[in-house]
Amino acid sequence: MERSGAFKTSLAFIGVAIVCLLIADIEISTLDPWREMGRMALGVVTPNFLAVGQLGEALAKTVAFAFLGVALGVVVGFASALLFHFGPVRWLSAFVRAIHELFWALIFLQIFGLTPLTGILAIAIPYGGIFAKVYSEILEEADPRPLAAVPHGASPAAAFFYARLPDAWVHIKSYTLYRLECGLRSSAILGFVGLPTLGFYLESAFRQGHYSEVSALLILFYVLIASLRLWVKARLVPLYLLAAPFFLGPGAEISLANITRFFTQDIVPHPIRAAETLDFAALGAWADWMWQIFTTQALWGIAATLILTQIALVASGALALVFFPLISRRFFGRFGRTLGHGFLVVTRSTPEYILAYLFLQFWGPSMLPAIVALALHNGAVIGHLIGRHVDEIPLRPDAPKGLNLYAYEVLPRVYGQFLAFLFYRWEVILRETAILGILGILTLGFYVDSAIADIRMDRAVFLIIITAFLNIGVDALSRAIRAKIRLTTTPERT
Amino acid sequence: MFDLDKASASYNGRVVLRDISLTVRPGERVALVGESGAGKSTLLNLLYQQHQARAALIPQDPALVWTLSVFHNVYIGSLHRHKSLYNLLNLVRPRAREVERVRPVLRRLGLEDKIFTPAGELSGGQRQRTAVGRALYQGRDVLLGDEPVSAVDVHQARAVLTAINEAHDTVILAMHDVDLALAFTDRVIGLKGGHIALDQPTSGLKPSDLDSLYTN
Amino acid sequence: MSRKLGLGLLFLLIFAGNAVAKDFVFTAIPDEDETRLAQRFDKVAAYLAKELGVPVRYIPVKSYAAAVTAFRNNQVQLAWFGGLSGVRARRLVPGSKALAQGQEDRFFTTFFIAHASTGLKPGEAFPEKIAGLTFTFGSKGSTSGRLMPEFHIRKWFSKAPSEVFSRVGFSGNHSRTIALVQSGAYLVGAVNFKVWENEMKAGRIDPDKVRVVWKTPPYPDYHWTIRGDADRAFGAGFSARVKRALLGIKDPALLASFPRKSFVAAKNSDYEPILKVGKSIGLID
Repeated sequence: MERSGAFKTSLAFIGVAIVCLLIADIEISTLDPWREMGRMALGVVTPNFLAVGQLGEALAKTVAFAFLGVALGVVVGFASALLFHFGPVRWLSAFVRAIHELFWALIFLQIFGLTPLTGILAIAIPYGGIFAKVYSEILEEADPRPLAAVPHGASPAAAFFYARLPDAWVHIKSYTLYRLECGLRSSAILGFVGLPTLGFYLESAFRQGHYSEVSALLILFYVLIASLRLWVKARLVPLYLLAAPFFLGPGAEISLANITRFFTQDIVPHPIRAAETLDFAALGAWADWMWQIFTTQALWGIAATLILTQIALVASGALALVFFPLISRRFFGRFGRTLGHGFLVVTRSTPEYILAYLFLQFWGPSMLPAIVALALHNGAVIGHLIGRHVDEIPLRPDAPKGLNLYAYEVLPRVYGQFLAFLFYRWEVILRETAILGILGILTLGFYVDSAIADIRMDRAVFLIIITAFLNIGVDALSRAIRAKIRLTTTPERT
Repeated sequence: MFDLDKASASYNGRVVLRDISLTVRPGERVALVGESGAGKSTLLNLLYQQHQARAALIPQDPALVWTLSVFHNVYIGSLHRHKSLYNLLNLVRPRAREVERVRPVLRRLGLEDKIFTPAGELSGGQRQRTAVGRALYQGRDVLLGDEPVSAVDVHQARAVLTAINEAHDTVILAMHDVDLALAFTDRVIGLKGGHIALDQPTSGLKPSDLDSLYTN
Repeated sequence: MSRKLGLGLLFLLIFAGNAVAKDFVFTAIPDEDETRLAQRFDKVAAYLAKELGVPVRYIPVKSYAAAVTAFRNNQVQLAWFGGLSGVRARRLVPGSKALAQGQEDRFFTTFFIAHASTGLKPGEAFPEKIAGLTFTFGSKGSTSGRLMPEFHIRKWFSKAPSEVFSRVGFSGNHSRTIALVQSGAYLVGAVNFKVWENEMKAGRIDPDKVRVVWKTPPYPDYHWTIRGDADRAFGAGFSARVKRALLGIKDPALLASFPRKSFVAAKNSDYEPILKVGKSIGLID
């Protein structure tokens, strides 16, 4: 029953992806990639750790922003999870998590400028929305029986903390740790818009073609991610949180005038701002303005975004199924697994932007580099999660080996889980298509980025709201499909 | 204290109990016997609804929190007696005072050495005894138990039932072990096919008198 | 857990209120090699500090928009803008003034460059054969990498770039544009002539792979702009002193780092043409 539902869903998604491939903008057009590729390859084998001036500082800031952003997100998310049955809380959390952290950063840059607050909020707000959703699901899935055994007369709070939370705790902890890894990636990427994290130097080095510096920065970042479980211990977390604010660098004055201006001028649509009185003419001009942006940018942006997302989603899934055995002890020995882990850390931690640029050199501009970059990154994330899950499945001692084990014993058992992860990843891929403007693919994110580059925050906010609703729609669809084919979810969602 | 008048109940859309009339007075010790599926658990829950604030319940499933220690699982029985903040502090770090209160209960149930073991690591019998401990620790005067000794050996079962009887005035236990039922209660109610087929004092009953409940 | 996190929140509030002393701060649009930008502008900062007698700091930003935003939010009081970003900044900060520009900036130009495989040859006339090829601009907010080339493309074809070319990309900056056209990822691109000359000198360009096919007519570009309230914040006559200091840069090493021959006075009206072009192609409301 469940299998056939999952099977049909998979087929349907593959079908949609094939149709998208037919209409997608894909071509191969490069002529001389080898000079640039040669320089990149040379950079990879000659990492130069000394070239980056403030390497230690950048690293410390990356960690500090991640910790504080995620921590604040945990607080907000946990509180919201408890109130998740209220519609407005659910809607707000869906809305804030539908906006990519880079866009949050660009918005806060307008309000707070390049201050630590910008970086922390850019992580904390979308993460808060994600935590709210996932925590509430984890709590919902906790064993309900102990709650029934709590004596009559105990306060709801006591009952929650004794009979509900402990069962969910392990999942909450493991999910939070997973999210911290994502937070480190987000924190690094925030450097792309100017915050002083690793991404700042990475982007500089990369855009200048200093590939030895790029590879040094990336190696450092991989080590940071790969060693996460070694240095993040529950006992040390308070210490890190206490230390983090001291690494953020100087705060700047936060000006109330700038905040007010953002809300009362910047994001007020241009026709309204330009009008002297708010009459019908102004409202008409506003409607016209929205219609213009919607038909000339948003509609095309939505189409390109969805086509790219659907192809990248299926490709991510296919790669994840290939990747997950690489880190499972059911399939590889210690040495093989170490290589597998290394490969997955590299693939999932290299910013998609850099992967896309690499493939752009090979294949020229089209959706192709974007699809491959997104699929590699997300395939590695899902592969990593499934691979860890596989090792926990009890197998009979006389189970087959190799491909037979994969096809008959493992894949059928993890397939539901795999689909659940993939569906969680759906909206993430949708958000990530935003940052691939360099490829000349006109996704929604491209138009948002253009509006921000033109310092037209009114347009940017309008387009961001459209993006957010697209995300919410995909999220709702993914939830409906998961419910329909009854995919069980587990602690670690992506 | 418990009164049912022509009560009926269904479970998952199937009528499990019909026309049950029953009175249980304070101080009685009642055994509910009958085949599985006869409606014992449903009847027990029906009775529990009548006096939630006075009665402790041992559900058939131990309903423990696997990640919490035996101590905390038993302490859950006393949540209603303390302020929430105190409960919270005790969750983060067990208070010595509470540990010393829980300890005798566990000693009695033969679980003292497991006091700080997570419930998830216990054997089936130990889990059941922990659930009994949680009910005992509630300190109610009425106890409703659904097969409270089904997973422990006869020797321990006697100790557990003795403890239950000593701690409560009124006891209603669903049981499948007829010998134990006769030894530890003073009234037997036999259920068959959703209605009461037998309701007698224990004294004078022989195990074979109950055979009719288990045959078609 | 929430107890630990509460502490984090507390610290957030503490450092948020932790303001720094009032320095004279400036920034620059990130149009090329950032290491070079940092070296160049740290030198400028040291020079200005000496001349003005106040602490001067340079802060790097990641995009043209970020430079304008920092200027607008008064996080920087002075900036080295391009034509377009300067016009935008002055529109957003009433009272702000263009102070100085490089001698070359009065007659700036954009090079259209093409991959050798296109067979395009350098010429005086607009290379209309670029239609239908792939094309990359530099940054979306750049005067030389976006505004002027787009203006000439629209003027020649009477169509938007997206309708002229089979694909239009935004490389992010000038060095990247050169790299992308050189590898053939994009066949044609538009690049700041100063950056092209620099890269050529540095030997990063293979003339067999990529060449200049057209030069735009000159237009005004880079210049220094100061906020209108600088006099109020740093004392009467401060803007004039900054202007004198900028025009007085004579150190050949400092000038070479831009690279500019010298700085000459500039005024807001010098950039009227840029404003007009910006409005005509819809980049400015």
